Amino acid sequence: MSPPRLLRFTFFQRAVHWVVGVTFVVLLLTGLAFSYPSLFWLTTLIGGGPAARVLHPQIGAVFAIGLLFMFVLWVRDMFLDAPDRQWLGAIKHYAAHEHDKVPPAGKYNAGQKLFFWVQSLLGVVFVATGLLLWFPESFGPGLLNTMRLLHYAAALSGGLLLILHVYLGTVAYPGTARGMIDGKVTTAWARLHHPRWSGERVEH
Amino acid sequence: MPDTLAIKRISATPSALIPLESLRSGGPVYSKLVDISKCIGCKGCEVACKEWNDLKVEQTANFGSMQSHKDLSSNTWLLMRFNEVEVGDDLQWLIKKDACLHCEEPGCLFACPAPGAIVQYQNGIVDFNQDQCIGCQNCVSGCPFDIPRFDKSTKTVAKCNMCIDRVEVGLEPACVKTCPTNAIQWGIKEDMLALAEKKVETMKRRGYEHAALYNPGGVGGTHMMYVVPHGDRLEDYSLPAHPVASPAPLHGLSVLRRVGSYLLGFGVVSALAHFLAVGPESPEDEAWEPKP
Ligand code: HEM
Ligand code: SF4
Ligand code: SF4
Repeated sequence: MSPPRLLRFTFFQRAVHWVVGVTFVVLLLTGLAFSYPSLFWLTTLIGGGPAARVLHPQIGAVFAIGLLFMFVLWVRDMFLDAPDRQWLGAIKHYAAHEHDKVPPAGKYNAGQKLFFWVQSLLGVVFVATGLLLWFPESFGPGLLNTMRLLHYAAALSGGLLLILHVYLGTVAYPGTARGMIDGKVTTAWARLHHPRWSGERVEH
Repeated sequence: MPDTLAIKRISATPSALIPLESLRSGGPVYSKLVDISKCIGCKGCEVACKEWNDLKVEQTANFGSMQSHKDLSSNTWLLMRFNEVEVGDDLQWLIKKDACLHCEEPGCLFACPAPGAIVQYQNGIVDFNQDQCIGCQNCVSGCPFDIPRFDKSTKTVAKCNMCIDRVEVGLEPACVKTCPTNAIQWGIKEDMLALAEKKVETMKRRGYEHAALYNPGGVGGTHMMYVVPHGDRLEDYSLPAHPVASPAPLHGLSVLRRVGSYLLGFGVVSALAHFLAVGPESPEDEAWEPKP
């Protein structure tokens, strides 16, 4: 008998998440190739340097649209409430798995909510700066160089967050990834990581 | 026969920052010297450039100037700019030979992310290899002289290559060869510097008190230098007064690159460290929820 499972993400939510996830990884890899000569070979993954230069902004457009959908779909669950603020204070205990000392999380814990907000903000920076870099003919060198800096700084922050996000979503908390694959998580998983959400689910 | 095609820098490789030195270094270093006071505005050099480099002809139209084209393009690597400027009571053409200056410290090369797309030779020539170019146009914003031009059809960038295929066999560039007044001269850079000094002297004696050599230090000097009659009016010649090879943002980018690799490395290491120290947490862990 498989254990009872709760629906965490609808098909549409999962599809949007993976459009964003896959495009972001490709963007990150090609972007790193443009930034680090030693990683230039990564452009081979999508057909070589010229192809990467053409595809990077186009994939960026898909990423931006995906991110917009994600924002609209998820934003109402992402506002921080009082327990969330206490959760942030107890983040050390969260990392150490000391459950009794961590205020219970709702559908998303405060870290996930912040991740959502920061990625959305970075998305705006990516799109604004990326659009200028896409059509460099129309702008002066000073502006472009500044945009390049901002684009790059955003990419690095996003990259760091992505590493942590992937680690937490896969290896650190077994059972989490299922929620993004077939959409369902076990009740035990929900009670452990998102007690307030599992409570709501059980009661309603 | 001296070796003129020894390589000095290759874009997006360590040699971009630390120039290559080898047994092949130490050959001749060339420069063009453009004496603007001698230019009669015939544009023979423009034609010679098109001809030698087999560049497509572009339709021109009168736009109220003696200038042939409005701007450089991927098919027009040389343009005599006819800047109409009032000097005293006179209207003068402050002509500028607009083309790549072949900087000693080339901002285009520093900015280029594609290995081998831009190469600088020991002889001073900076050349683009279109077959390695990815068309990002970083070189355009890296160049302090606004020289490289993007070609929409080939999605690569082009500019003057100093007729490298002529220089390589001991010939002068086509524009030099064609100039009827010797306004453009060609030779070993040191000789050209000495010549420029003499020309500046002469001009000063003839009343051009601000006559000057244009060989800007901000880009380490150039391999196309100008003798400018009105050295106090560089902007009127469309010559930037203080061009810099690696503008602050590019430096910023390299700092950020360093920070970035540490940051991403930190992400991976801390995830690994957490995994090893604390490990995963799963609802199946008995420690968490002992069955009643
Ligand atoms: C390709 C690598 C990625 C993997 C493996 C991955 C995995 C996951 C998983 C398993 C969840 C579910 C978490 C839960 O149920 O609580 C999730 C949620 C989420 N993902 Fe991703 N994801 C990836 C990329 C991205 C990217 C690039 C973004 C945004 C730019 C993103 C944004 C989000 C957001 C906002 C959530 C909901 C809040 C959260 O869980 O933090 N993901 N992801
Ligand atoms: S003038 Fe511009 S294109 Fe020519 S070498 Fe200098 S930076 Fe490069
Ligand atoms: S457009 Fe070509 S030559 Fe210019 S920086 Fe990009 S890859 Fe290098």
